[in-house]
Amino acid sequence: MKPHLLLTGTLIAASCLPGCGRQDVGGNAEVVYNCPANAADIDALKNEIPAFTAESHVNIKLNPFTGQDKLYAMMAAGQAPDIFYTNTTMRDRLAAEGRLLDLRTVSKGDPFVERLWPAVITNGTSPDSGWYSLGNWSFTLGVYYNRDLFDAAGLPYPDTAWTWETMRRLARRLTLDADGDGTPERFGIFIGSHFVEAIEQMNGAGIRPNTLLASLPDASAEAFEKYLSLMEEQLMPDIRRVQAMGMQPVQLLQSGRVAMLVEAVPHQMLIETLAIRWGVAPLPRFAGKPPKYFRTSSGGLSISSSTRFPEAAWQSVKWIVGKASIYQPNPVLRDLDFVGGWERRYPRLPGSGFREVWTLSLLHDGGDPRFFVRFSSWTSASILERLQPYLDRLWAREIGVNDVRTALPEINAHAARDLQDLLQREGIKPAFRRVIERELRSLERGAEQ
Amino acid sequence: MTENGRFGKVFWAALSRYTVMYLLLGVLCLLFLAPFAWMLSVSGHDLAGVFAEPYRWIPDRYRWENFGLVTSLLPFWRYAANTLFITVLVLIGTLLSCSLVAYGFSRIQFRGRDTLFALCLSTMMLPGQVTMIPLYMLFVSLGWIDTYLPLIVPAFFGSPFYIFLLRQFFMTIPREYDEAAVLDGAGRLRIYWSIILPLARPALAVVALFTFVGTWNDFFGPLIYLNSPETATLTLGLSMLKSQVVGTGATQWHLLMAGAVLIMLPNVVIFFLAQKHFVKGIAVGGLRG
Repeated sequence: MKPHLLLTGTLIAASCLPGCGRQDVGGNAEVVYNCPANAADIDALKNEIPAFTAESHVNIKLNPFTGQDKLYAMMAAGQAPDIFYTNTTMRDRLAAEGRLLDLRTVSKGDPFVERLWPAVITNGTSPDSGWYSLGNWSFTLGVYYNRDLFDAAGLPYPDTAWTWETMRRLARRLTLDADGDGTPERFGIFIGSHFVEAIEQMNGAGIRPNTLLASLPDASAEAFEKYLSLMEEQLMPDIRRVQAMGMQPVQLLQSGRVAMLVEAVPHQMLIETLAIRWGVAPLPRFAGKPPKYFRTSSGGLSISSSTRFPEAAWQSVKWIVGKASIYQPNPVLRDLDFVGGWERRYPRLPGSGFREVWTLSLLHDGGDPRFFVRFSSWTSASILERLQPYLDRLWAREIGVNDVRTALPEINAHAARDLQDLLQREGIKPAFRRVIERELRSLERGAEQ
Repeated sequence: MTENGRFGKVFWAALSRYTVMYLLLGVLCLLFLAPFAWMLSVSGHDLAGVFAEPYRWIPDRYRWENFGLVTSLLPFWRYAANTLFITVLVLIGTLLSCSLVAYGFSRIQFRGRDTLFALCLSTMMLPGQVTMIPLYMLFVSLGWIDTYLPLIVPAFFGSPFYIFLLRQFFMTIPREYDEAAVLDGAGRLRIYWSIILPLARPALAVVALFTFVGTWNDFFGPLIYLNSPETATLTLGLSMLKSQVVGTGATQWHLLMAGAVLIMLPNVVIFFLAQKHFVKGIAVGGLRG
């Protein structure tokens, strides 16, 4: 074949490829939704969208291929999707840059807002008091336990009022070192280090919401000590070993290596894969402290500030959260029977304690991710960059909690540099600029003292 | 020392050297094969088996149905056809453009050739992250987003690494062939097409293999430029098997791995088919140039 013919033919073939872009369909407003879903869920959504469009005259175009790099590239090119998922660490930064629509502007007087648990709105609220994301899911924390191991040891199952000390006592009874080599074959409990902030909250740590700098008040330090003591007493496996082995916590419970495990409630993978007889209890309370049960909306759906159709995007978000079958029954809505729906889906749940744990989380506000500056704030990356080496040494018992507290000014100074860089950027909204300046001033005052 | 004694010493020295070498190679092989073996093993489990403790490398029953399930959960064959379409066009584009440019750099004398070649190579230093957003903006302005054009058209403008590889190979082909062809009345394009390309098959096989594997497995390009499920490639489809909607959703690892095995198969087949050319091309292109 002649080379120039081959080259020309191929170029012509390539230029004839199907092209598509954003088009309004039949006079309907079309919004693009960057939807992080699996194939089955995408199919379900696609099947339901026509009915929504007929009712609302809004067409939702699904873009199932998502990721932060893609989102940022789309934004930089002025092609931001109308609706996309944001987690707590990226949301505030995007909001500060003016890239997100304040949902208050489109939801004013909308009765849908009344259907949401207040915490869902609080979770989506940024330091400038703007509401930038509608949580599309929610979970609390609970202690999953192996009923067979409790029965074999003749121990009562945990109840809803159990305390940290009861948990320790049970963990001690359930820990087993059969060969007496000093290393238990079975540990009483496992709590991932990313849940320590929830324990701090339960212990009454008064962390200011939406703060951008790390702190470790006395109640937090005390919670850390309690957590560490579980490892010191060998009631809990060494966290570094579990992390190093890349073990899924659910494996620990399934294999009988631990008798109790702190995890999210609900936890779909755990419910679907645990083959043991299990139950779930709320996190244990601290004696003398009011009950507090952490519950989060785990990020949510945000609307781009550059959307051409803010009202249509809001209608779509409401439909996705409140009607789309893949999210139903949705725990962010007060008027839906979330527990009943899940109990019907998973016959293992009735009698497991799931209902009680969920109900407690609704009754007692245990803080939200905005308190978790170390893991869920826009400065968490720079905080963790410096904090993590200290935490690693803390888990190794090479340093104490007070050493971590002593290191906080250095850690916060690093985060402050990140904030100062942000201040240099032109696009930062004034309300966020004020918050950053307030934080930096508080750091300076702390340094002077 | 007797002849026998010397022979024995040499024999044992060689044996021990080879034993150590093969042991080391064996260990390295195991190291590289372990993820592959794990992928095969997981693809035959159910989800509970993936998280069983202790993990069983060989499942009680290998679940072949996982492969069927993957192809039914996704429009697998549609995605495979999309991927093949992109890969074939990229392959043609890369082979044509890179070989043509390499031919120019290796055979045609012109002012500034070496500078141009250095400039071409220097583009390799640019990390993808730096060019991602400008390229995306360019393709937006061309109206190419959500089409295959951003994935295919750049292949027709050469790739510095392959240009370098082919140029090195072309330089090993004696110029006497060109001179003989010129005497027979061949022009530059004829020499390129009828003399150089047939002689450069091993190097072209290397470029073709690298391009095929790179394009077939490419995740980032399709992720950035494609939006509609109908246009998806296999790697994008595979990513959809991960359940991400619900914060604590379960990733179906066994299906994910079964899908990965299926996607990988063409790579393995092509590698074994082209192995001879591949090794020769790498050796000649890389060492003699």
